[in-house]
Amino acid sequence: MEKLSYDAIVIGGGLAGLMAAHEIAVSGYKVAVISKVFPTRSHSSSAEGGIAAYIEGNSDPNDNPDYMTYDTIKGGDFLVDQDAAELLSQKSGEIVRIMESWGTLFNRQPDGRVAVRYFGGQTYPRTRFVGDKTGMALLHTLFQRVSGLDIDFYNEWFALDLIRDDKRVVGVVAMEMKSMTPVFFKARAIVMATGGMGMLYAHSTNAYINTGDGYAMALRAGAALKDPEFVQFHPTALYPSDILISEAARGEGAILINNKGERFMARYAPRKLDLAPRDITSRAIITEIREGRGFPGGYVGLDLRHLGEDYIKERLALAYEAAKNFAGVDATQEPIPVRPAQHYYMGGIDVDITGQNPDLIGLFAAGEAACVSVHGANRLGSNSLLETLVFGRETGRAVAKFLSEHKEEDSNSLDKEAEKVVDDAYKFVKSESGVHFGEILNKLRNVMWEKVGIFRDEDGMKDALSQIIELRKMTSSMYVLDKSTTYNTEFFNALELRNMLDLAIVIARTALERKESRGAHYRTDYPERDDKNWLKHTIAYLKGETVEITYKPVRITRWKPEPRVY
Amino acid sequence: MSEEEKEIVVKIKRFSKEKGSWWQEYKLKVDRFTQMTEVLRRIKTEQDPTLAYRASCHMAVCGSCGMKINGEPRLACKTLALDMVRKYGKNEITIEPMDFFPVIKDLVVDWTDFYNRMFKVKPRLYPSKEVLEGKAEHRLKPEDQRELWKFEQCIWCGLCVSACPSVKNDPEFLGPAAHAKGYRFLADPRDTIFDERLKILIDSAWRCTYCYQCFNVCPRDIEPVTTIKKTRAYTKFLSEKTPVALTGEKHAEAIVKSIEESGKIEEAKVYISTYGLLTAITDMIYAMQNGKLKYALVTQKKVKDVEQIRKIMGE
Repeated sequence: MEKLSYDAIVIGGGLAGLMAAHEIAVSGYKVAVISKVFPTRSHSSSAEGGIAAYIEGNSDPNDNPDYMTYDTIKGGDFLVDQDAAELLSQKSGEIVRIMESWGTLFNRQPDGRVAVRYFGGQTYPRTRFVGDKTGMALLHTLFQRVSGLDIDFYNEWFALDLIRDDKRVVGVVAMEMKSMTPVFFKARAIVMATGGMGMLYAHSTNAYINTGDGYAMALRAGAALKDPEFVQFHPTALYPSDILISEAARGEGAILINNKGERFMARYAPRKLDLAPRDITSRAIITEIREGRGFPGGYVGLDLRHLGEDYIKERLALAYEAAKNFAGVDATQEPIPVRPAQHYYMGGIDVDITGQNPDLIGLFAAGEAACVSVHGANRLGSNSLLETLVFGRETGRAVAKFLSEHKEEDSNSLDKEAEKVVDDAYKFVKSESGVHFGEILNKLRNVMWEKVGIFRDEDGMKDALSQIIELRKMTSSMYVLDKSTTYNTEFFNALELRNMLDLAIVIARTALERKESRGAHYRTDYPERDDKNWLKHTIAYLKGETVEITYKPVRITRWKPEPRVY
Repeated sequence: MSEEEKEIVVKIKRFSKEKGSWWQEYKLKVDRFTQMTEVLRRIKTEQDPTLAYRASCHMAVCGSCGMKINGEPRLACKTLALDMVRKYGKNEITIEPMDFFPVIKDLVVDWTDFYNRMFKVKPRLYPSKEVLEGKAEHRLKPEDQRELWKFEQCIWCGLCVSACPSVKNDPEFLGPAAHAKGYRFLADPRDTIFDERLKILIDSAWRCTYCYQCFNVCPRDIEPVTTIKKTRAYTKFLSEKTPVALTGEKHAEAIVKSIEESGKIEEAKVYISTYGLLTAITDMIYAMQNGKLKYALVTQKKVKDVEQIRKIMGE
């Protein structure tokens, strides 16, 4: 197998990966980005509403970074590591300034400065935005910026697995999708910036490419996931296509109504109303639908009409377009049909605030792939774009520091391990007959949605766990019909399914274990938050079929847990 | 909302290195909300896992799923199956890979040439040193932001290039997407490499034929052709003009002159002013040999109130 050598490899070409690569490259190290799609196709592009930032001199005069930290911690139902949240708030203004200086066309105030709007869970408005295509604008800016640097891009290369020795990660095996040629990329540091996993759920706002590859690769290499039971469901996905209708809509004043025309959020969050955090709003919508106050088919209305046509078309263009194109609804004339769908994964590869994983020397992670514990049990809107850039940069800098301290060490010949990775991939699809990936995939997505979704309970999750184990067994009779050696997407889809199954078992198992309700993890059999027993992070390893669970304390600096009322 | 299902037939032009090219038919039920990306996903997960295509965001921001649907260059995600059925009056939908790009597998094409075009225009802001170092801050008028954002929304899907006749015939033409990107930075008051951008863009801008295919197919309505027009208006700032740019400039001047004189575009006069008498005579001989000289020699009468036209032009 061909071998290529770099100081660092970044897997994933979204905002977190590109920002990390930028920092590594400007520190003078040789870095490559491996991505299964061309970088601008990454899911960062789908982020809509904005990026939260406290900007000194350009924020509400009463606001300060501490309020932002507090909002993030409360939003995350106190499962947030407070030092991480503080760092996020403190760096937010600088990150927006950098992206602006690189060309991002943020919406402006009349005096030419960057504009701002409200998002859910914010005490003061902090969301900076480019229409409602902020992710796309930031991703293009950053990709275009780094495309001018000395970084090697391996676009449309599929990462199979990490290679490690007894204590260090030493590289990754990836395959060029076009030629199906595997290459062993050797590096002293690997950054997992592989994004989320929405495809595990039957209803998700995520891109088709979000199959949780990074989580599974880390698990198979022996690294832990932190808080894997926390999955965010966004309250307003367009019915029925699950296209995201940005929280910006509610930030700009849209309201949720049921079939009686009632502004029902008044019953669930009397003060913040429609701008309550996502977990609370999602459960409110499902409750309305279950109690017969939804519309036929199972949705509620998102009413923008009072905002006026011009305002809607400028500030909420994507929401307007999506409703028109994909649901046949003119949002200036009638409410947009919405329902909750999987949206974000708070859990992720266990890392500290420098992006470093404690299990494997040289392993880093950033963005949605990582769990820095900045979102805790529920992420606030506008904090994900911010996290990708702030922690992408922190991670890139930590990698540069790591590289300066860890010179080339004699790694044992691990070529055999690299060969084995490729063999294992082909073995996974070796059957000549049986089921193909789609059958297993569709079953997995349904069981996750129904049993490990917005409302959870012990019986449901036990059932889910046994079904997932069944599905894992089914893969032994999975086959790939396509024998082509060029861009064989069936082969890669099967490997994505392998990743999804490795992650699913960890989510179901850890969710079953956490016997309380906190943020997005809501159990009907344990409806209250239980700080006495559960104010702690779940740390999960995957050993074959067994999920090993330990716990880690939450880092609390200044804000003691309090009831979460909106 | 009604979710009445309807059976459709999807005919896909397949290709593999091993098997060559063939058409394959699938049948499935769709409703009024079913996007073509969903059609493809369902074919792949429920009927034929071997089908290869690209799709990512399913909301028209990632630019992965460009293809030809019933012969039209479109994003699959932004196309509802039943809209196609209604538009063409039949329940059969054909899908082919985009034109111009070499096919790798089924609907997956090779974008290398497209990306190279995009990178040629230096697609990034070159801000001042002060701003980069955080010593100064950009201000941008809301109206400038709006204007630039319109053209910044290119998602690199390639549909405009696949539909562009000039790209196919003129290797020096950068293509519509690259021009949109180039103009977006050319017009950005925060950028510092204006002269270099002119050198990259002006000559190519005069190679567009204004056929408006890019305008028609762009799924984000960024109007690449508009950016080409706007770029041409910067020709006067270019110090060393290429022959193409010079001819273009002369042509534009000749048209203005002709309208000022007669209120009409007098093709023969415009031709002579643009290309010079000698070239015009040579071309006329060629036209004569082909029996087309009579078209060139049509004499135009002045419009009646030409004064009024001059007034408008002068404004």
